[in-house]
Parts: sequence; structure tokens; C-alpha cells
Amino acid sequence: MLDPLSGDKAGPRQEAADADRPASSVAAAYARWRSEAYEREFVGRSPRRPFVTDVGLEIEPLYTPADLEKAGFDYGRDLGFPGAYPFTRGDRAAMYRSEPFVISAYAGFGDGEVCNRRFKNLLEIGAEQILVALDLPTQCGYDSDDPMAAAEVGQVGVAIDTLADMEALFDGIPVDSVKRVGTLGNSIGPIALALYAALGEKQGVAWSDYTVNLQNDPLKEYIARGTQILPPAPAARLACDAVTWCIDKTPHWSPMTVCVNHINAGGAGSSAATAIALSNALHYIDAMLAAGHAIDDVAPLIHMFPDERHDFYISIANLRALRRIWARLMRERYGASRAEALSLQTTVYGHGQESLQEPLNNIVRTAFGTLAYVLGGASYVYLACYDEAVSTPGEESMRVALRTLQIIANEHGIADAIDPMGGSYLIETLTNQVERQILDSLAEIERLGGALSVIDTGFGRRLMTEGAVRRQRAIDSGQRPWVTVNRWPQKPNVPNTAFRGDPEAVDRQLRRLNAVRAQRDGKRVAAALAKIDRACAEGRNVTPAVLEAVRAYASVGEICRIWRDRFGIFTPSTDF
Amino acid sequence: MTGRRLRILIAKVGLDGHDVGARVVARGLLDAGMEVIYTGLRRTPEQIVRAAIEEDVDWIGISLLSGAHRVLVPRIRELLDESDAGDIGILVGGIIPQEDVAELESAGVARVFLSGTSISEIVAFLQTQSADLKNA
Repeated sequence: MLDPLSGDKAGPRQEAADADRPASSVAAAYARWRSEAYEREFVGRSPRRPFVTDVGLEIEPLYTPADLEKAGFDYGRDLGFPGAYPFTRGDRAAMYRSEPFVISAYAGFGDGEVCNRRFKNLLEIGAEQILVALDLPTQCGYDSDDPMAAAEVGQVGVAIDTLADMEALFDGIPVDSVKRVGTLGNSIGPIALALYAALGEKQGVAWSDYTVNLQNDPLKEYIARGTQILPPAPAARLACDAVTWCIDKTPHWSPMTVCVNHINAGGAGSSAATAIALSNALHYIDAMLAAGHAIDDVAPLIHMFPDERHDFYISIANLRALRRIWARLMRERYGASRAEALSLQTTVYGHGQESLQEPLNNIVRTAFGTLAYVLGGASYVYLACYDEAVSTPGEESMRVALRTLQIIANEHGIADAIDPMGGSYLIETLTNQVERQILDSLAEIERLGGALSVIDTGFGRRLMTEGAVRRQRAIDSGQRPWVTVNRWPQKPNVPNTAFRGDPEAVDRQLRRLNAVRAQRDGKRVAAALAKIDRACAEGRNVTPAVLEAVRAYASVGEICRIWRDRFGIFTPSTDF
Repeated sequence: MTGRRLRILIAKVGLDGHDVGARVVARGLLDAGMEVIYTGLRRTPEQIVRAAIEEDVDWIGISLLSGAHRVLVPRIRELLDESDAGDIGILVGGIIPQEDVAELESAGVARVFLSGTSISEIVAFLQTQSADLKNA
């Protein structure tokens, strides 16, 4: 099998898999315990449930030194030290001891004005980073007055049409007063970047004095999440334009966060989803290197967004395995040498299996999900609100989410020792197994032709549907217990307050958009839009022209129209 | 409706891009022996109604998680009725507040299934409904 890391170099890992080595005394003792003591307790009854994880790995009753021995565990090669290659134990040396993970909030609804009050409230109670949830029209490149935006303005996020909306949204919140500001902006990456760059200018804060974080990962939208606008190749190109603009101007920003999250949530399973996300990351990296950039400049600008919400221990293993794979890929495939290029920073969003039934229980689920990420060494941590499965979260549930993060960061001594699960027979075994799954899956994707083939061939979609069906069956059959859903079942309850948009916010939004259109310098806007089109046609970085357009108060929809006319639109698949 | 398999159009309306639930239901109904067509993402009410009529379906299953159901679902019902296709039934699946479930069901939606509903429940509903129609 092709190894995505090192081609033919089988090395010690291969040898380690050799099952023929003589069993040590622990292995023999374990075998004895298993048959004579453990199995005996099951005589006449069956196990509580199948001990199979969502990624398909079976959980053994007990892990011992024999498991590490069998895997040829080598401390220096497999783990090393935090902040040092291969970064299994953490991306920074001091990890949470110098500074806990960044306590982050993802929020947005209505228009800039009403959402601004929510942001101030979040900062007051201790949010250190705010990621703006945009409404669907903004994410899909439609202005609030577009017929496609009907019924969706300000619904699942805040409506942003022009820079004026950003000014309202961050009124009284200097962008340098928080650790990072940002948004997802997956299909509008250069516009989202330009909106934040121009916002800093408006507020008189130098680009060097604040940090912008974007998701800006369009490729996953085609198989999960669904905000795609253009065909995949030009969409990826525009995303890379936003990243490479930062190399010279703002190398401390994080303009791309490649997502496992939505691909796993959509059914792929965390290992396959991690492989797809890695193949997306490699696609972006290859494009940027082909454009003449250096890996040591590019890689530090890319973060990842891992996800595993079904199995606590797999989640810890996934983060550790992902950091190790990233470090080895960057060094062995690309020859990266800077620590910032080799060490992967991760953003996570704490989930459990949230239910519509008795939503308060989701507080417990998301806390456990988040705890796993923290034990895995995540860098930036968000937490889903308990009512998020049913509506745009309210003030109370956002407070509980932030307080949960603060409790994990500050109480129980959870964040005191670095990589506290390191060396656990269970966790090290799972880390190796998950790593193997991810690498095998990545090799399969690369044989298929890489990231674009995952979309074009329907591979990603099929994988996800099959996984989602498998999950649904496991729930329907009770094989995967879910409290209040298939165990102690209750009726689902979606409160009447869910989705009650603010009609006044929609009116305000439309008024602001009309006022901007009436007051701005139309010629300046038209010239800037023409410049974007030329950059698109000539294959130059569009970000400088987009920034000019944004400064001139061109709207998101107007800029996306240029892109649509130039690159065409993507037709979503009707396969299922 | 007698003598043929049930035909269902699973539809995503508006900008909501989350279609895993829609696809899982589509697959489940197919496995249960029904004929299933999926619209793909981001369809307008007009496109959905046109597809439903062209495909001669018995039911449209609309999946919505973005909160736009109060506008978009009644619009589809209205267009169907205007197009002389009032016999096509509508099911809605997704995250729908209690109050809106009643509202939708009185606006011509046969049934709202909240996310977390088992596939067999949906299959059973469709089979009972069509049996009722056959016996009517």
C-alpha cells in the first residue's frame, strides 16, 4: 500500500506490526486473565453492548504494556516532547500551563446592530475570541435584498452585506481587544479577509496588532455543509489567494482552518473525515507551492478543525494522531523545517450527541466532548450551546457554554499537566490505530486523484451517506445507546422561541444596505469590481482588488456576482 | 395510486446546505421499496413543484433546518394547489418548533417529522396513508 508519508520507507513501524514476535510475559498473563477471569464473568450472559467505536475500531476490555510492545512503541519517535517533533504531545512546549486553550464563541444573528450587543455580552463574561456566524445569504454570496435570500436574512447568523455592517457589528469592540476575530466565510474567503482588514483600518488598528481567523475551506462545502458557490477548482484558488495575501501582509493571521468537523458530522466517521480534510489541505498547499510560495511560509497559516463526537477516547487519539501526521507530512513530503510549519494548531467545537429531547442534558454531553478535545491538546476551543440542536442559541445557553469552557480550563486541575493521557496503554494504542486508519484512507484518496476527485467522483458523498445510514441504523436498533432517544425515550421538543427571527433586524439590514448603495461612490465601486474581474481572468491574486472593492463599500453579493460570471456556478449533486 | 410503487421527491429548499438527513431518509425510503428522487441542494419552491409534477410523485418530503420553513413550505403547498397538483402530499422533516408544527400541519402539510425520527416511522406513515387512499 502506498504510504502517504514516506513512499516505500517501511521502517520500524512496519516491523512493529509483525505479530510473530514472541509474546512477553505481560502478553501471556493478559491472555490468561482474559480467558480465566474476564470471559468467565460473561458465562450465561452477553456483553452490555457491542464495544465498537463509530470509526469501527473495537475497544478491548483492557490495555496493557503488551499492546505498546506489539506496536513497537518508541517514545522518541512516536511521542517526543510537547512543542517538538512530531508534536504528538502538543503544538506548544508549555501548552495550557502558560496559557489555557483560547476560550472562543461562535455567534451571530439578526443584523450588525442587535448582534453587537450579544458580542459585548460575550466579551464581558470572558470570551477571548469571537467567530462571527454569518447568515446563509452572506455565506452563499447573496445580498440581503436578493430573491434567493428570502426568509433567510439574519436567520442562522448575522447578515453582512458591506463594510458598514461590520462597522455596526464591531461598534465599540476594537479588533485588538480580543485574541482573534474571524468568521467561516468558506466560499467568500477573500471577501471575509478583506472585510476584517478594512474594519481594522476603519477602527485605526494596525493589521499587526490583531489576528484574523477564517475557516476559508471551500472544498469541504461540496460534500458537507453546502454553501458552495463556484466550481471546486476556482473556489480553492480564491481561498488560496486569501492565504497567500497574508504571507506578506499579515503572517500572524490564521486565514485557513481546514475542517474535519462537517465531513464527520455528515457521516464519514472521524478517521475518513480527517483523511479527506488532509487531502483538502494538501490540495491548497500544492496550489500555493505551485504559485511559487515556500512551505515554511504557507504551512503556518493553515490550521485544522478536527472532530470526533461519538467516542471520547477516539477523540483524544484523533487529535494526537493528527498532529503527528501533519508534522510528518510537512517534513517528509514537503521538507518544511520551521517549527510553526510542522506543528499543527487545532480549533475544535465541543459536541456530544446532542438531542432534541431534554436539551439541558446537552450541557453534560458537550462538556464531555470538549473535555476529550482538551485532553487531546486543542488550541482554540468552542463549545456547542445546549440549545444549538434546536435553534440559534440564546444568551443564557451561550453563557453556560462559555462557563463550561472556563470550568474545564480552570477547575479540577484538568489543564495542569501537559498531554495527561500520554503513555496510557489505551490512548497510545488508539492513537496508533487511528493514525493508521487516517493514513490508509488518505492513500486511498490520493490513488483516486486527491481532493477534487473526492468531490467529482462522488466518493466523499457516498462515503458520508453510507456512514450516516450506518449511524442511523445503530441508533434505530439501539446498538448505539442514546439517552432519551433510544434509551428512556422521550418526545423531541423544539421550543417555540426557536427561529423567531427579528423582523426589525431584517428591515434595519435592508435600510442600511440601501443607504450604503445611495451614499457610496458608484464609480469607485464599479472600477474596483472591474479590477477583481481582471485579476480573476489573469490568474492574479484577487485579494488586493477585493480589498479595494470592500473599502469602497461594494457588497458581498456584487463581488460574488463577478466570480459567478467569470467561473460559473456549481451544480449540486442529486445522488443520495 | 394503485398498482405502482410510491414515488417520493425529497427536496431541499432555500440556502440550507445540510442534507445528510434528507439523504438518509431518501436511502431509507428506497430500501423500503419506494421510488425516490432527490432534488439536490438549494432549490426554489418553483423548481421543486416543477420537478414534483414532471416526476409525477405522490409525495414531496421537504427537509429544512434553517428556520425558513414558515415561508418556504406554505409557498410550495400554494404552488402545488395552483398547478392542479393538490393531490401531491407534503411531508416536512428537520428542526421545527412545536408551534410551527401545528401551523404547517394546518397549512396543508400531512405530517412533520422532527430530526431523530426513525426511518421505519416515516415508512409506516407513508404506507398507512397510501393504504387509506387505496381503500377510500
